[in-house]
Amino acid sequence: MITFELFKHQWLKTYRAPGFHRNLVVNILLAISGLYFAAMLVLMGFIAPSILHDALPDYQPVEAFNGLLLYIVLIIFALRFLMQPLNALDPTPYQILPIKRTRLINYLLLRPLFNPVNYAALLFMIPFAGNIAWKAPYHSGWAALRLLVITVLFVWFNILTASLLKRRYGSNPWAMAVIMLVAGILFLSEYFHVFSLFDISLRIFDFLIGNPFGWLIVAGLAGLSFVLNKRFFSQHQYAEKASKQASGGKSYLKKFSFTDRFGKEGSFISLILKLITRNKRTKSTLFVSILFLLYGLFFYPKKMYDDNYGFTFFIAMIATGSLMLMFGQWLISWNGSHFDCLMTKKMNADTYIRANYTLMMLFNILCFIVTTPYFFFGTKVIFLQVSAFLYNIGVNIFLLLYFASYNTKRLNLNEGSAMNYQGTTYKNFLIVLPVMIGPMAIIGIASIFGAEQVAIWVFAALGVIGVIFSKPLLTLCQRRFIQRKYALCEGFRKKE
Amino acid sequence: MIEVTELKKFYNGVAVLDIPSLVIANGESFGLVGNNGAGKTTFFRLILDLIEASSGEVRVNGETVARRDEWKSYVGSFLDEGFLIDFLTPEEFFSFTGKVYGKSKEDITVFLESMTEFFNGEILGKRKFIRDLSKGNQKKVGIAAALIGDPQILILDEPFTALDPSSQIRLKRMLNELKATQNMTMLISSHDLNHVTDVCERIVVLEKGHIVNDIFTNEDTLKELEAYFAV
Repeated sequence: MITFELFKHQWLKTYRAPGFHRNLVVNILLAISGLYFAAMLVLMGFIAPSILHDALPDYQPVEAFNGLLLYIVLIIFALRFLMQPLNALDPTPYQILPIKRTRLINYLLLRPLFNPVNYAALLFMIPFAGNIAWKAPYHSGWAALRLLVITVLFVWFNILTASLLKRRYGSNPWAMAVIMLVAGILFLSEYFHVFSLFDISLRIFDFLIGNPFGWLIVAGLAGLSFVLNKRFFSQHQYAEKASKQASGGKSYLKKFSFTDRFGKEGSFISLILKLITRNKRTKSTLFVSILFLLYGLFFYPKKMYDDNYGFTFFIAMIATGSLMLMFGQWLISWNGSHFDCLMTKKMNADTYIRANYTLMMLFNILCFIVTTPYFFFGTKVIFLQVSAFLYNIGVNIFLLLYFASYNTKRLNLNEGSAMNYQGTTYKNFLIVLPVMIGPMAIIGIASIFGAEQVAIWVFAALGVIGVIFSKPLLTLCQRRFIQRKYALCEGFRKKE
Repeated sequence: MIEVTELKKFYNGVAVLDIPSLVIANGESFGLVGNNGAGKTTFFRLILDLIEASSGEVRVNGETVARRDEWKSYVGSFLDEGFLIDFLTPEEFFSFTGKVYGKSKEDITVFLESMTEFFNGEILGKRKFIRDLSKGNQKKVGIAAALIGDPQILILDEPFTALDPSSQIRLKRMLNELKATQNMTMLISSHDLNHVTDVCERIVVLEKGHIVNDIFTNEDTLKELEAYFAV
């Protein structure tokens, strides 16, 4: 019964969070996008066999899938390690109650297994299993069932092992580097035929699915992981010890003192850089912005987007402005927890807004330089990236600064995970319209009349105009900020 | 000098603060006492322009504070943890605040040396972020940061709570010294009647947003206050 109570508390924690009801619009939007992804997964389950047949014609679709499966398991494992949040229920208030320790540990460990989101893979696997049941080489309903059982067992194994490693090694920045390195080596050795994970994966999963008792091995792995987790807990039974390890020591105490040379603005920028590198929430945002930088890699080379200027301009904006677009949504509100401090110290509104502007500008310049290798994809990409960059630094930057003062929700910077929507309001989605969707739509409409190049020139010109008039535009943002000051102060004082 | 005229603050139609007139002279040490919800923090927030007055105004050295920046140069304040930047180490926080007030590295070092006794070796050189310090040590960091810009006016909300007894005594000594040597104006709220009568020359009692007593401290003040708050 107590375990049931714990689950109830977890639910109450979500439901009674002050933001939950106020944020209904955001929750509905999230639910809709969740349904969309669920539908995509089911659809993928149906069409995957024909895609696999086209991509790897030498293999049966099921064999090709088996070959890729180990990669998929490893990728999901890496993502889980990087993104999965640890126990969300703070155990301290329960530790002092007469509840058995093992029960609490079991609860903390097994709770993610009851989160339906973790079984999203089944949405894909169930339609795909039909292929195993009726097609070569298995022709067996039992094999299909075994695939599903193995999927569930691998989900368990992944969750348990990822959280064990995370508890053990914390969100160490080196962990990500090691994962990237291992992934790179595996990919290259596959590419140069040094060593093929594909063949190994094919053999492993062929055995696991084909053999009536293969699933027992995976069950054993999941069980082993569970036992190791429990052992870790029994050795680190005090919250203090575990959290010390999770914070990963203080070796990443970076100073960013180079910015101090630029006066007050400079010390504010170095403050924000520290904020970004020392809080979980901002660290995962940084990780996502790095992924956005790679967007071009997926879309620029594709023939199908050659004539779609609207969409490619959108991609160019994301690639050349990923840092600004990710962090710019949280301008001002990321100072929420120490806003009173900034407002009572000798920091004028002018300095504050200008420092934020300078930082966003630096972000854009950095992203633009980093994405210059995309220029090798041709003159069209150069044209798009330069225009998108100009539009970002001349127009979007001011839109973000101006509307930033409308987001009065305090951000909880210490709770990190890539899928964290705390502090998100419908206003965040509204700003996306003029900033991202607007240009894409306008270029799309212009292309109907064959004027897409003209439209892009116009956006680039708008950007240049924005840069030229940056002074009056900044004054405008500053006035808005001063007007909104009390609303911001009050909003940030409310903790969620 | 702080002048308050016709200052009112309403929340949902209820007046939480209503001060028709109040003048705090230069060099005065002003204590604010009152039970929970009396409006002490609201009053301080209005002086610091962190909330908007429903009517009336606060003037510091003759200039209104609302939506202005000038007063920030000579007012130092610490109300709560919102005045700290918790992902910095204390050293980084002092150096950031010092720079905001245009202090050089040497100025900051000299300032921190003057805080050695108050810090009692628990703040500097610990390689800890402010968020990992105890509540009492966080308070010490906040109070010190309020002083770093050589303010003419110092505003502290409940500076004695969460401090250990020795630190409370050290803080009292430090405040009395600042008053004597720099003629600093101080606004201090407290629930501890003993401490506040030790430090402040003038004590104002707030009740439900109204000033109900305004006394200059003498040997009977403590008894008078204790009688007032007795239940």
